[in-house]
Amino acid sequence: MTSRHRRKSRTVDGGEDAVSFFSDLFRRKETSAQVAKERLLTVLVHDRVKLTPEALESFKTDLAELIQRYFPSVQPSEIEVSLLREHTSDRLKADIPLRRALD
Amino acid sequence: MARVITVTSGKGGVGKTTTTANLGTALAIQGARVVVIDADIGLRNLDVVMGLENRIVYDLVDVVEGRARLRQSLIKDKRVPELYLLPAAQTRDKDAVSSDDMIDLTNQLRQEYDFVLIDCPAGIETGFKNAIAGADEILIVTTPEVSAVRDADRVVGLVEAAEKGPPRLIINRLNPRLVAKGEMLSMDEVVEILALEPIGVVPEDEHIVSSTNRGEAAVFNQSSQAGRAFHNIARRLNGEHVPLLEPTEQNGVFDRLFGGLFGRRART
Repeated sequence: MTSRHRRKSRTVDGGEDAVSFFSDLFRRKETSAQVAKERLLTVLVHDRVKLTPEALESFKTDLAELIQRYFPSVQPSEIEVSLLREHTSDRLKADIPLRRALD
Repeated sequence: MARVITVTSGKGGVGKTTTTANLGTALAIQGARVVVIDADIGLRNLDVVMGLENRIVYDLVDVVEGRARLRQSLIKDKRVPELYLLPAAQTRDKDAVSSDDMIDLTNQLRQEYDFVLIDCPAGIETGFKNAIAGADEILIVTTPEVSAVRDADRVVGLVEAAEKGPPRLIINRLNPRLVAKGEMLSMDEVVEILALEPIGVVPEDEHIVSSTNRGEAAVFNQSSQAGRAFHNIARRLNGEHVPLLEPTEQNGVFDRLFGGLFGRRART
């Protein structure tokens, strides 16, 4: 419930609201096999690269510092780093929302 | 020249020993000369699963330490002519056997047999490394459960590091009813997660319990779905093209009808 409220308050457009409602509805219907698959895909990537959660946190901090050196307007709290399994390859993904630089 | 195939899994209790016993028996029924080796030193089990526990005189460690010749220590199966077991020792010394010993042993067997199947101990320590040392091919057994799949992936990494080529996957104890309800990972999902080529799916089957109780392989039982799945895996190991389908409940009833027909035909 709380996550849905938070998401609602962040969205401006009514359309996205409906999307989030349906995705929440869908999420509730997720079967245990789907949950198992998602959890396994995540845990296997972590196992494979042998990266501890602490090391990943320290990587995120270093990455935020580096990015801020070149993009001072980027908010460190908005940077999302994740290890993913996509089809047959494992990936390190960083999602960094850009903001207009101040003059 | 025998092909040496190690059956491994990482996690214990997923059916390595049952798989080794049934594949070995199925290959021998289909006409191959087969030796199955119990590499689980200290925790001997392949003998009871195959019903040969009363015939053991010498074991793997006796051979390695020179107390017995290899030929002497092979136990002939009760029912299938060209099937032999080399039992594990019950010694507590896990270091009694080295990787080089296993390579020597398998090389001696290569000359006279078509298949050498090695039942690997659970875990990823010395016992595992010894069991894969002499292997040409690796079969990884998993069940459609998170812990078993996770451990299987660890083993894949180690097998690749040992340059054994890509292992093939056996998905054991799949319950089609639970898969249909979305409460168990399907064959396709497990294959996608592990990115391995599957060589067989074995449905959950109560016949396995009764067969193991009696010390008879399920492949002798015409009404055992698991037994038929193991026969199919043995055919695929032999290079035969046997289509691999996700087991379904309907397919179970269907199979039972056709299995009966097939069984009768096979006996004549």
